[in-house]
Amino acid sequence: MKSQRRTKMVAAVAGAASLALLATGCSATDGGDSDGPITLTVTTFGTMGLDGLYAAYEADNPNITIKATNIDTGGNALTDWKTKQAAGAGLADVQAVEEGWLGQVMQVSDTFVDLSEYGADDIKDRWVDWKLAQGTDADGRIIGYGTDIGPEGLCYNGALLEEAGMPSDRDAVAELFGGDDATWDEFFQVGKDYNAATGKAFYDHSGFVWNAMVNQLDEGYYTAEGEINVEGNSALQSQWDKLADGAAAGLSSQQSAWDWGGGKAFTDGSFATFMCPGWMLGVVKGQVEAAGGDASTGWDFADVFPGGAANWGGAFLTVPTQSEHPEEAAKLAAYLTSAESEVAAFQAAGTFPSVIAAQTDDGVTGGSELSTFFNDAPIGTILGSRAEGVTSQFKGPNDSVIQEQVFGPATKELDSGVDGDTAWNNAIEVLKNLDLN
Amino acid sequence: MKASPYLYIAPFFVLFALIGLFPLVYTFVVSLNDWDILSGAGEWIGFDNYVAELNDPYFWNSLFNTMSIFLLSAIPQLVAAVFIAALLDQNLRAKTFWRMSILIPYIVTPVAVAIIFSSAFGEKYGLINNILTSFNIDPVLWKSEVFPSHFAIATMVNWRWTGYNALILLAAMQAVPRDIYESASLDGAGPVRRFFSMTLPSIRPTMIFVIITATIGGLQIFTEPKLFNPTSANLGGAHREYQTTVLYLWDMAFNRGDFGKASAIAWLLFLIIVGIGLLNFMISRKIASTEVKVISKRRAKKLARYRAIAAASPAATNPTGAPAVSVVDEEKSS
Repeated sequence: MKSQRRTKMVAAVAGAASLALLATGCSATDGGDSDGPITLTVTTFGTMGLDGLYAAYEADNPNITIKATNIDTGGNALTDWKTKQAAGAGLADVQAVEEGWLGQVMQVSDTFVDLSEYGADDIKDRWVDWKLAQGTDADGRIIGYGTDIGPEGLCYNGALLEEAGMPSDRDAVAELFGGDDATWDEFFQVGKDYNAATGKAFYDHSGFVWNAMVNQLDEGYYTAEGEINVEGNSALQSQWDKLADGAAAGLSSQQSAWDWGGGKAFTDGSFATFMCPGWMLGVVKGQVEAAGGDASTGWDFADVFPGGAANWGGAFLTVPTQSEHPEEAAKLAAYLTSAESEVAAFQAAGTFPSVIAAQTDDGVTGGSELSTFFNDAPIGTILGSRAEGVTSQFKGPNDSVIQEQVFGPATKELDSGVDGDTAWNNAIEVLKNLDLN
Repeated sequence: MKASPYLYIAPFFVLFALIGLFPLVYTFVVSLNDWDILSGAGEWIGFDNYVAELNDPYFWNSLFNTMSIFLLSAIPQLVAAVFIAALLDQNLRAKTFWRMSILIPYIVTPVAVAIIFSSAFGEKYGLINNILTSFNIDPVLWKSEVFPSHFAIATMVNWRWTGYNALILLAAMQAVPRDIYESASLDGAGPVRRFFSMTLPSIRPTMIFVIITATIGGLQIFTEPKLFNPTSANLGGAHREYQTTVLYLWDMAFNRGDFGKASAIAWLLFLIIVGIGLLNFMISRKIASTEVKVISKRRAKKLARYRAIAAASPAATNPTGAPAVSVVDEEKSS
């Protein structure tokens, strides 16, 4: 689901878009000398907040023309990238890739330009170190410049918590879930209390909770050495048992992710908490507004997350070796990931910067339309605090397949009342059938 | 110049070779390799991909889903199309209006159809479940149970294609000579009898055409299940409840990245479609040959009678006379 994280309601056009992309899978790069006019192509996806920056770059570099393409969802962008990668042609000069596909990107990291050849070493201190490490391949080549990261905080609906006799104040809520030492056990306990008081579900569906739990571990579905490690993985299984216990207690609202009934689930009190990486805040706002709600619906954002720091998603800008203008492309990528650019992107799309200087910038910590929606929560400051202690987890080549095809159905089973052991065994069964490596 | 006719038809064959035949052969070559979408061609492994797919429960699951959705859509669709065509074949006011109206669903793009229907069939907030609950009927899990999901997808297919097929069948019905109907009704055949004994047999060749195209289309169904639950990370339902073979192929190629197996699936599906096509062809030929048999039997009888008359009165014999014409007439109307 990571690769689908930026899905909007328009995701329905997915198939059509991806087919159209297959059909028109060529975006030829104009030839020309480095002094002459150059056209650079940029492919991004979802809401990365970069659109406003192209014109400024063109103004500063009169010989550069930027041709930007934005693909609606991360999932479609992955298909697009894979198709063009397989065809060996058609990739943009600056190609955005998502954290969730890193395992696949790293399989073919030699088809990406080593940005160290174009000055990456001079600017590599700008990023938080784990982001830089994620964008570096096994041979130490820097192939991706980090754009945003996805530190997770807890979205909650203050009005609903109040109905259950719980505090709705941001700090008190953080305290309710255990503050800095928040654990999943506490989270599920609060959920059970909420359920006992209201009879309602606590979170939207088990899948997102599971994502957060897995992303938080030192090793996820793969060992750091790159072996699939799911069957008999006690760390995973103990988290699974907690999740199954929560679902059995009726804490899951059994929603379909990215659908949420056109946003209605966010406004009709179906659930009171939601897993919120930075970029998800914009999604929540969009869903609530799609269903006719607004700031008064009661959503708020607390500086707390069960189990401690967690990261979900985030993207990189890469330069494929197919590019005819790698030097100019690398320069553009560096510009788009500068502190000023990432602040601008945050203001446009709520994507939390991976650049250290940008994280504490007034433009990030200050108020915005998004913070107004979340009951004036200091979103940038909270996300900065949530980003502390995040470490990168190794993503194997089939990470997203395991997440979607193995644990997607299994978490859905939990939601529909199947007991934890059966759902886990079914997941293992699917994993064996898929015969992944 | 004898080359010119070949030149005239050449564009089709050149294009077919380029975008039909070459991909077909290349897909076959890919299917014999361990071929990853990203890292490209690997080892030559012969028919291992085919063996793996034929042993894969998900492949059989996808075939079952495809056949089930196909049957759920093709049968009601053809019955309804014949019925609608028969209605439109009557003397209606504003004929063109009615005829064009039933074609409207066909000109809506399948993507739009899928989006509208997938919203109506939503499990928690969908229109249909809302109506059901307001009548105190339990909501149906349209997107997570096998039969309801097949039914929902078949509904989309039917909505789109019934009118199209009805128009084709209507064209065939219009070609049936009216005077036969008149003489039949003079002989006392009611509308039902006329429909089953005259209309249906006369449009049989068109029926076969419609059935064959519906079969090919039905076995390749993709858009409707792909967009039925567009936000689902898993293609064709969390537990592959409505994952058709083409969706499974797509999943194998683009999500799991195994081009070798995906190509093997494509070829297996191709062979299945060819097989079913041949079956259709044989059945239709058998129907045709039964007709010929009936005709030749009648003709033999007529000829025998004619010869008997001719032998009885050689003087009146006229080889191109009335009896011969009546034989021809008999053949035409049979």
